[in-house]
Amino acid sequence: MTRKRSAHINLNRMRKEFLPKPIAIGIASVFLAACGDKEEAIIYKNAADCASQNPEFAQQCETAYQQALEEAERTGPKYNTRNDCEAEFGSNQCRNVQNQSGSFFMPFMAGYMLSNLLSPNPYRYQPMFTSYSPYSPFRYRWIGAGGYDYGDLRQTKYRVRPDAFKPKPAVTKTMQRGGFGSSVRAKSSWGSSKSGGKSSGWGS
Amino acid sequence: MPCEPRPDWQKKAKAFGFKFHTMHGQPYWDESAYYQFTLKQIEQDLEDPTQEIQQMCLAVVDEVVKSEQLMRQFQIPQAYWQTIADSWQRQDPSLYSRLDFAYNGKGHAKLYENNADTPTSLYESGFWQWLWLQEKVDNNALSRGADQFNSVQEKLIARLREISDFYGVNGLHFACCKETEEDRGTVQYLQDCAAESGLFNHFVFIEDIGLGEDGSFTDLHDRPIETLFKLYPWEFMQREAFGDYIESSQTNWIEPIWKTILSNKALLPLLWKKFPNHPNLLPAYFEQDIHLAEQGKWVKKPLYSREGANISILERGKTILQADGPYGEEGFIYQAFCPLPKFAQNHTLIGSWLIGDTPAGISVREDTSLITQDLSRYLPHIILG
Repeated sequence: MTRKRSAHINLNRMRKEFLPKPIAIGIASVFLAACGDKEEAIIYKNAADCASQNPEFAQQCETAYQQALEEAERTGPKYNTRNDCEAEFGSNQCRNVQNQSGSFFMPFMAGYMLSNLLSPNPYRYQPMFTSYSPYSPFRYRWIGAGGYDYGDLRQTKYRVRPDAFKPKPAVTKTMQRGGFGSSVRAKSSWGSSKSGGKSSGWGS
Repeated sequence: MPCEPRPDWQKKAKAFGFKFHTMHGQPYWDESAYYQFTLKQIEQDLEDPTQEIQQMCLAVVDEVVKSEQLMRQFQIPQAYWQTIADSWQRQDPSLYSRLDFAYNGKGHAKLYENNADTPTSLYESGFWQWLWLQEKVDNNALSRGADQFNSVQEKLIARLREISDFYGVNGLHFACCKETEEDRGTVQYLQDCAAESGLFNHFVFIEDIGLGEDGSFTDLHDRPIETLFKLYPWEFMQREAFGDYIESSQTNWIEPIWKTILSNKALLPLLWKKFPNHPNLLPAYFEQDIHLAEQGKWVKKPLYSREGANISILERGKTILQADGPYGEEGFIYQAFCPLPKFAQNHTLIGSWLIGDTPAGISVREDTSLITQDLSRYLPHIILG
């Protein structure tokens, strides 16, 4: 018999509230099932942290750390003011950077993610950030340069897709905002049904 | 068919983040009844015509991008003609569309319009009505043989991956306007689908989009926006301050800019001209060709409009029913009046979903008025027999 509807939907992905225990088992099995093409990666706080766990690779730990620092400066989040940066990452978590693209504020690199360190293949690295600001969704989370939330700061072993290590686009300096959206303001002043709840939008 | 709502559905809606089930104090999601179709009705009367009309629509796009006169007739600003033609030539991939039909269960479904740029009610269709049926069947409230025309979510997940591969990116930005719970819900749904296909996803409000010194658009973290899904009409963007940078920013757009042509009501008279008397089309004319139209009732629609705004129904040149709205300055088209079928005091509109160019499911909306607006109610459907 032809079936016209999908056989399966991953309900855990769709859930927006956390539910008690039994569901958690379901989540775990979903993760395991999806692990096929992922690789193991470990986050270290710094080169010393890496070297203490892999004494025979101390040199690679140090080189990768320096490379991650460079990548952090190139692709990490940048802000025009210290205030904006600290609002996201917490007080004293930001530094001033001056290079050819200008002067701005960036969070310190909080760690770096490494994979393939123990294999004959070249190791892969990427900088990691975290926030100590109580107002930030990134608080105590490992965050990649692209804003991807890897997980809790206390956890350092992850299985990630290989493309997690692709270099991220560098951030840029925003010159101007608000150039889109004016039609909505003009058109939403009309009509009774729109002015009340304003919960419905501009789709059709 | 009337039926018993699931006792805990509002609790479930909360758990799944479905916040706009009640809008403007009126129920929107309505599971006190459902629509029942046969497999034959679904496949022959809705799925096949949807596939065919999509191909007919694409043939019209191909004609319009090559004609300055038609681009003008579509009221597309001249600055974008080349950008649109280029996007079409590159075959920039489309994500989804919704074709709206009047269909009474027998005979030919008639195309009302093509919502190709910013269709909503996607979450209700792809996920929420799927879950409703799944639970109804699991609880033996509906027959195990009950099915639904709905592979929307599965196809969205696969399509988002195809689009990312086309552009060679591993993450997408998503945007909608502020203060619209329904749009935010739709976009969150697409973000969930992107995550399910293994893509990074970032959100930014349309109003917060910035312009970076390297020429790209940026999000609130100053990250360049490489690929953007925008639940915001192309015809608005093309007339706003950042419109000048649509091309130079080198953004990969979802929907692609060539869909400006598909979502325009001028598509309807061109379809009728190219495929006259097609059984799924209603006669339609541009304002200047209205003398070709026969006597009778006609519906006057603005070239650009959303949610039934500014549509009026005319009889012998006189307006007999009218919906207010902010649209219409770009002109109108006329479409033969074909009333929505009435079931138990309600006018019923079928939305038929395309993911890419593939039919993927339907949605059913009811309204007490002949013109379906954003206060209509959404009802689930099943296939049985």
